[in-house]
Amino acid sequence: MRIKILIFLGIFCFLALSAGGCIGGQQKPLGFSGVISYDGILYLGSTDGKIVAVNPSARNQEMSFPSSDGEWSFAITMPSKGISCGPSSVPVSIYGTPTVVGESVCIGTYNGKVLMMSPSARSQNLPFPQTRSGEWVYPRTEDVIEPIVGSPVAADDTVYVCSSDGRVYALDMTYGDEKWKSDPLGDKLWITPVLKEETVYVSTFDGHIYALSAKDGSLLPWAFEAEAGFASSPVLHENVIFVGSFDRNLYAVRVGDNEPLWKFPGDNWFWATTVAKDGVVYAGCLDGKVYAIDSKTGNELWEFDAGSPIVSSPALTDDLLVVACDSGEVYALDIFNGKLINEVSIDAPIQGSLCIQEGIVYIRAQDNCLYAMDVGKGKTNWRFPLTIK
Amino acid sequence: MANLWNLIIVDPMLNGLIALSSLLPKAVEFGLAIIILTIVVRLILTPLTLRQLKSTKAMQSMQPKIQELQKKYAKNKQKLQQEMMKVYKEAGVNPIGCIWPMLVQLPVWIALYQSIMRALATTPENLLDLSRHLYFWQIVNQALPLNSHFLWLDLGQPDHYLILPILVGVSMWVQQKMTTAPSADPRQQSMSSMMTLMMPFMFGMLCMMFPSGLALFWLVSTVIGIATQYFIGGGWGYLRSSTARQSMPRQRDKW
Repeated sequence: MRIKILIFLGIFCFLALSAGGCIGGQQKPLGFSGVISYDGILYLGSTDGKIVAVNPSARNQEMSFPSSDGEWSFAITMPSKGISCGPSSVPVSIYGTPTVVGESVCIGTYNGKVLMMSPSARSQNLPFPQTRSGEWVYPRTEDVIEPIVGSPVAADDTVYVCSSDGRVYALDMTYGDEKWKSDPLGDKLWITPVLKEETVYVSTFDGHIYALSAKDGSLLPWAFEAEAGFASSPVLHENVIFVGSFDRNLYAVRVGDNEPLWKFPGDNWFWATTVAKDGVVYAGCLDGKVYAIDSKTGNELWEFDAGSPIVSSPALTDDLLVVACDSGEVYALDIFNGKLINEVSIDAPIQGSLCIQEGIVYIRAQDNCLYAMDVGKGKTNWRFPLTIK
Repeated sequence: MANLWNLIIVDPMLNGLIALSSLLPKAVEFGLAIIILTIVVRLILTPLTLRQLKSTKAMQSMQPKIQELQKKYAKNKQKLQQEMMKVYKEAGVNPIGCIWPMLVQLPVWIALYQSIMRALATTPENLLDLSRHLYFWQIVNQALPLNSHFLWLDLGQPDHYLILPILVGVSMWVQQKMTTAPSADPRQQSMSSMMTLMMPFMFGMLCMMFPSGLALFWLVSTVIGIATQYFIGGGWGYLRSSTARQSMPRQRDKW
């Protein structure tokens, strides 16, 4: 009997620990927000639920944070769920890269909120939201929509964001009012939508590319259907949509066509959003390789083996392609032939999108630190821990 | 070690689960796949289950003798142990014989549990992690991501209607009742009564926190356990005797 009790208690402890994400099973959502640069300031989400504005020159001089040069941090929390002996509120997870809208910073969070923040109000640490400064939160009440994984996209006076409930939301840029929400488009939408002229393009987990009217969210006549679901956010380049699929292919679909222009096979999913420039598509794959593909024919121009899954979107300069992989390696490649120019390594996985500004690559790694790397010289300039009190 | 565990046990089970899902109607694919795989694993483990049942039954048949000894040597624990071991030895029964088939089955259940959790991939990190465990099979890759909706449930989320937690709790209580022998020792009896109530309660609570896909697996597994116990173990076991015992005083009152 005692042995039986011990076994049952053992199973119970195992399950209880698993519920907490300690062993096996489900991993806690940490988020892998990317970095964006605007007006000399870097904006990013941290793994502990903060939106942080960092001034690279202040970090270069190792000034205390926040310096008066546009730096601030804002913690986003949500009420803790279920049985918990911890605090009543917990940090949210942030996956999307912040979007700069006019003078404000917009972000969608994994607990299903969209926030518009004013840098001036945040640097003064005023209560959120300061409506007079153009700050808002959607939904306004305690309600939330389903988790948001992609980044918001802004155009004219509207912010577009996709949610796990399969809907696209269009919000008023100034007040955060809901202009429209689309009908559910199949399964979760963990993507950043693409906006071109009056059309919003989205790719879905159930293998569709839909075109929606940016005015009212109604479905436009053209839609594309694939055999497998789409894993990455779509990218539109010269009227062709490039999107990675769970069937391990990168799809090129000309808007209006029912058949793909081409499919490029990888050895795993093309999870990272591709980048396209001058008729070439650069695609990082979870098979650990980055491929340069002719956007018209789908022929491979070159490939580079990074040796570890590529989760973050690559970044381009005039003649360099910078790729970061899950093992923490950052490679600078010759854009024309994929030759390795330089590499830098950090001791943490990299999953968020990269940002290049004046030859410096900014990366938020999974150790919750922001890195500034001079890939031309192959060195890390500074490392800034984002665990700010 | 973890890689070996994944390579040999979890990954084949995970890919099998996803492949099975792709063969089923899209609307119920994953829920039905969990049910079928749980049944298949139960069938594969039948020899061990039977052995465990046989051993348990042998132990149960010796209960009157054991209870007699417990009464007789209530104040001398050491003597009681010696006498009990003697009885077991004479009958050719190993007192922990019903435990080791359970221990052998445990890794399989843990692997099935991990496969379900992994396939559910509720967060982006989980989905990325899933990509590392998939085979090259087209049938697997085209099935993803799985439709997590099944009946009223989102298998990636806890059951907000609390139907599954209640069903899991009740079915576990029934199973516990069927297999827990009454003891003459009041301390042991109160301990086993507490276990019979606590375990279903704890699992019911866990179901309120875990994705309902896992609760579905527990429910199916427990129901199969009850059915096996009923058909092979011979009826409702101690559940029947305990309800009879409970109803007896009432009947007496009526008389």
